[in-house]
Formats: sequence, C-alpha cells, structure tokens
Amino acid sequence: MSEFYTRYGDGSPTRVSADEMRRDLEVGTNDAADRGKIPALSQSELDHLFDICTRPDKTVSVERGNEVVVTFDAGTLKLPIRAGVPMDRSSAILTHERAFCSDTMELAHVDYSYKQLKAIIHEETAAMEHVQLNTIIPIFYGAMPNLGLYTKPDGPIENWSELLPLAKISEAKAAQEEAMEHAIKDMVYVASRMYEAGADGINFDTVGASGDADVLASLKAVEILKNKYPDIAIEFGMSGEFILGMHGDLFFDGKRLAGLYPHQQVKVAEKAGATIFGAVINTNSSRTFAWNLARTVTFVKACTEAASIPVHVNVGMGVGAIPNSNTPAVDAVSRADKALVEIGKADGL
Amino acid sequence: MSIEDIFLEARETILQCDQERAVRLAERALAEGYDPVEVISSGFSYGIRQMGELFGRGEVFLPQLIMSSEVMKAAVQILDAAIIQGETTQYKGTIVIATVEGDVHDIGKGIVVSLLKTQGIQVYDMGRDVSTVKIIEKALEVKADIIGTSALLTTTLMSQKKLEDELRKNGLRDQFKTMVGGAPATQRWADRIGADAYAEDAAEAVTKALLLLNRT
Amino acid sequence: MGGIRTAGDLVARMQMAKGMKIKEAKEYVAGKLGISTFELCDEAVMQEIRESLDIGHVQARDGASIGIQAKFNIAKLLGIDIRSVENFKRLTGLK
Repeated sequence: MSEFYTRYGDGSPTRVSADEMRRDLEVGTNDAADRGKIPALSQSELDHLFDICTRPDKTVSVERGNEVVVTFDAGTLKLPIRAGVPMDRSSAILTHERAFCSDTMELAHVDYSYKQLKAIIHEETAAMEHVQLNTIIPIFYGAMPNLGLYTKPDGPIENWSELLPLAKISEAKAAQEEAMEHAIKDMVYVASRMYEAGADGINFDTVGASGDADVLASLKAVEILKNKYPDIAIEFGMSGEFILGMHGDLFFDGKRLAGLYPHQQVKVAEKAGATIFGAVINTNSSRTFAWNLARTVTFVKACTEAASIPVHVNVGMGVGAIPNSNTPAVDAVSRADKALVEIGKADGL
Repeated sequence: MSIEDIFLEARETILQCDQERAVRLAERALAEGYDPVEVISSGFSYGIRQMGELFGRGEVFLPQLIMSSEVMKAAVQILDAAIIQGETTQYKGTIVIATVEGDVHDIGKGIVVSLLKTQGIQVYDMGRDVSTVKIIEKALEVKADIIGTSALLTTTLMSQKKLEDELRKNGLRDQFKTMVGGAPATQRWADRIGADAYAEDAAEAVTKALLLLNRT
Repeated sequence: MGGIRTAGDLVARMQMAKGMKIKEAKEYVAGKLGISTFELCDEAVMQEIRESLDIGHVQARDGASIGIQAKFNIAKLLGIDIRSVENFKRLTGLK
C-alpha cells in the first residue's frame, strides 16, 4: 500500500496510508464542526483536501487567478529582530516591498503593546512619516492590546491572574473592567496618532491574548476610532480560535464574548467597525497535518461565509494548520495556504 | 439514594457550581454510609475533570472553573473528616510546577494548578520564566514527587530537555517524575527527551499526574 | 499576490479603503487597469501597466516615480484618499 509523506502539528515528519489520511481529515473536520457548531466539510471538499495533502510536489500553489493578498503582524520585528539582520525598520519595510514583493507591510516597535507606545509616540510617528515617503505598498502600524500589562507589577491594577486562584472572582472581574478603560484610552491614542502620521491601516494584533476583556477593550477602541476617522482601515487579528473567558460576563452588541468561535468573532468585529478580520485557528502539535488542516479549513469556511468584511487567516507558526515549529516546512505551509484560499475562501493571509 | 445517583449528583453540583447542594450531598453520602473516597474520586473529582474539558472547548469560563474548584473544596472538607486517619486519601503527592526560563505564558499552567489542587495534590507553583536550577532546587527542598514544566514557545521548549539533562547529570533523575506541557510539546517530544508524561490540557494533566502518583 | 511586482498592493488598498472582499477588490482594480482579474498577478502584463501609469515597480529606474510620488498616482488611479499623500499635500501647501 502506498504511503504519503506528511507531518505532525509540531512539524515532525511521518508517513501515513491513504486510509489514515482520509480518516484524519474526517475526524479533523468533525472536531471543528462539533466545537464550533458549524457544518463539517462536504465529501468533495474532503477529496480536494486529500488531493492537496497527497500531491507529490514539495510545494503546491493556488490555481492561477486564485491569488490573495497578504498582511503581516509584527512586521518589522521579523528581519531586524528575529532574524538578527542588522538593518533599521525602514530598510526592512523596503526589503519587503522591493525584494519580497509583499502586498502590504507593518511598522512595529519591539515593545509590541499599545500601552508601552504612548511614551515613545513621537519617535513612532516620525518613523511612520519617513517610511511613508519612501514606500509604495500600504503600511500598517500594529501592536497588541495586551491587557495583562495594566496589572501589578507592570501596571496599577490588581492582578486577576492572582485573584482568580484565590477565588476572588468579583474582584478579578472588577480589575479586568478597570484595565479595559486604560487600554481603550491607550489604543485610541496611539492609533489616532499613527493614523494621522500617515499609517494606511492600524493592526490590532493578538486580540484576546488576555481573555474576553482584552477583546471587549479592542472592540470599543475600534468603535471610537471608526467614529473619529470613518476612513481608517483597521485589521482585527485574534489570538486564539475561541475567546478565553477570563471574565465570562462581558458582552458586545448583546453577545457574550467568552467562547465565541471565528464565525461569531467576525460578526462582533464587523459591528465594531473593523475593516479586515484576522482569523486564528490553533494548531494541535500532537495531531497530524491533515487533521489540523481539515479542522482549520472548516472553521475558516464558516467564518468567511458569515463575514461581510475580508478575512485574512493567520498562517504563522502554530496557527492556521501551520506546524508549531520555528522553521515550518514549506510543504505544509504551501498546502495550508492553498486549502485555506481554495476551500476556506480566505480573502487574504 | 444509590451510589450511582450520588456520583451523578456530585458531578452536577460541580458543573453547576452549586456549593450548598454539594455540601448537603456530601453529608447525605456519609449518612447513608457510602465510602467518602469513592464519592470524591468518582463523583466530585470526575466533575472537576469534566469542567476542565468544557473549559478547553470554550464552553465554560475561568470564573466558573474557579468557582467549581471552591465547591469541590467545600464538599471534600466534609468527606475528608470522615476518612480514617492515616489513610491520607486526600493527600496524594507533591508537584513543583513552573513555566520555563524565557517564557512568560502562564494562563494554561494556572488552570492546571487550579485543577491539581482539587485532586489532593500539593502544588508548588513557581510562576513563569523560572530557571532550571531554581526548579530543581525547589523540588529538592519540598521533596516533590513530580516536576511539571510548561513552555508555550518553540524557542523555550528546549528548557524541558535541559531539565531532564540536568537531573540526569546530577544523579537526580530517579528522585522525580517529570511532566511536560504547552502548545509545542507533544508525547513524541516527551519520549524524545525522556520525560515521564505529557499532557495536552489541564484535564489530562490531572489524569497523568494521578497516574504518575499511582493514585487513580 | 506579488505586491508592486504585480497588482497586490492595489488590491490590498481596496480591501483596506473599502472593506472589499478579495473578489470585489480584484474586480475593482482590474476594471481600473483595463485588464482581467486573471492578469492582475501576471508579472509581464503588470510591469508594462505599472511603468506606463508610473505607479512604481520593483526596478529602480531613473525618472520613474517612487514612494510618495507613486502613491499620488495610485490614489488618482483607484479613486481613493491615501493618508500619507494627503499629509504631503498639506505640508507642501498643495492643499
């Protein structure tokens, strides 16, 4: 019986039979359907996925005409910081524009949280102004809401991660509500200044990393910004496939935020005024690539079908079926991209 | 009330975070002569593990998870009093747990800690960004049975291997059982570095810890 | 899509400026360029178009628009406001 070269969610290679591959695809889509209470993929979609997963080519691509645009998070952290290339941020952006041919790029500071940026806002706006003179592609400015940074010892508010294990639930909830007010102010302030300095868009990245209060603060910030600047473009990128209920009783537009999956998250983001939604589906390191891919595509398809705004699926390490490895294998990355666009109907990555 | 009904209702009180009912049920179970150990393990503990699983699906939230732990504590307090002294069914072992050096992610670990505490395991939570040396020192100091480490980043995952290496190098490996967790960790990783167990989520962490302590 | 090597930046701008989904954004840009959506990612087709419209290309040629100059032309082509272009006009007294 022939076997296909594939991987696990942590990137480690393995070989599986056609039957095993088909079974994993089916179990993966059913897991997403069960958790998200959304339709599983059809047999023809599973066949398409099987074809993508089993092609002998090392890399695959979307069919001509199906190409989509890409946006970034932590844009200028990648070459100068993570790759250790000694270049400044504007060189990194021009490298993306003129050598990598990226469709967009993001200016970002190494201290990637809105709270930290207010202290250096003048340097950041100056950097955006300089970058805008030399670049052609749209440039976002991005950072994380990072609600946890407002708690002790980093901020003035009681730490709910310490209050919750002590069963001080009402105190923990109150602390989160208080932190939200600070975070909204910082996000609106920094985003306003960067937009006025010429940013083509603002990226709220890794929304929800501190739970549902982190999401609510970001939604409210988007709402304020959109009222202030009707033309502002805002990308609303999530941190996980469901909103973690650190508070549990926070609502936006009448919807409880905790526990929302991507097809529900996109609707609240849309309502707040987001322009692009960044869907995130977590990769399970222990499961196969096929399992992760079918599961991810199922969530993404439900999300793009529900969305009225473009959906850019996060395909970074450990999300969007991309293996949880520092150097994700191109066979897996290109297959995930193709499947997310052709079956998930993603508007961008 | 049959023992099966007691188990079912105990699980329900946990899932519904109903402390008053849980306490009443614990008292009734004792009055009817049921084994308190069995009521804890197949009733309340089982409920807590179910809560952990629901939390992992986004169907219950952290405050509920914490509240259910409190319900569990109240019920166990009643049942514990009836357990014959010396059987120490409540105390099952000691674990030292930490997020490894260079890694500040600890939401998942916090949930593991909360659930472990409900199972009669003494937990020493060292927090986040903790060096291998400090973890080993603490484990020696408190005579831990298990050392548990969490890593969310692929770059910090190597610290779990470093812990295994350091334990072996210092002739301490046989003194402790080790458990690993975190998004990039897998059973394959645990096997490769020689850890005793891997857990995918908080509910599994409890099951695996109890297995390592031979207390299932 | 290929950024300024093709029409990726233009399609991205329409998603950002008008919240268009990919199909609509491609159709809008293709309409403005007078080509099919299929050709938006064709390097040969797009090089000629980008050079003739002077909206910037990967090759650094003398006399060709780069940076903010190219964006002036892109804003006119797509019929959208680009914040940095508006800022440039304001700061230089053009507006």
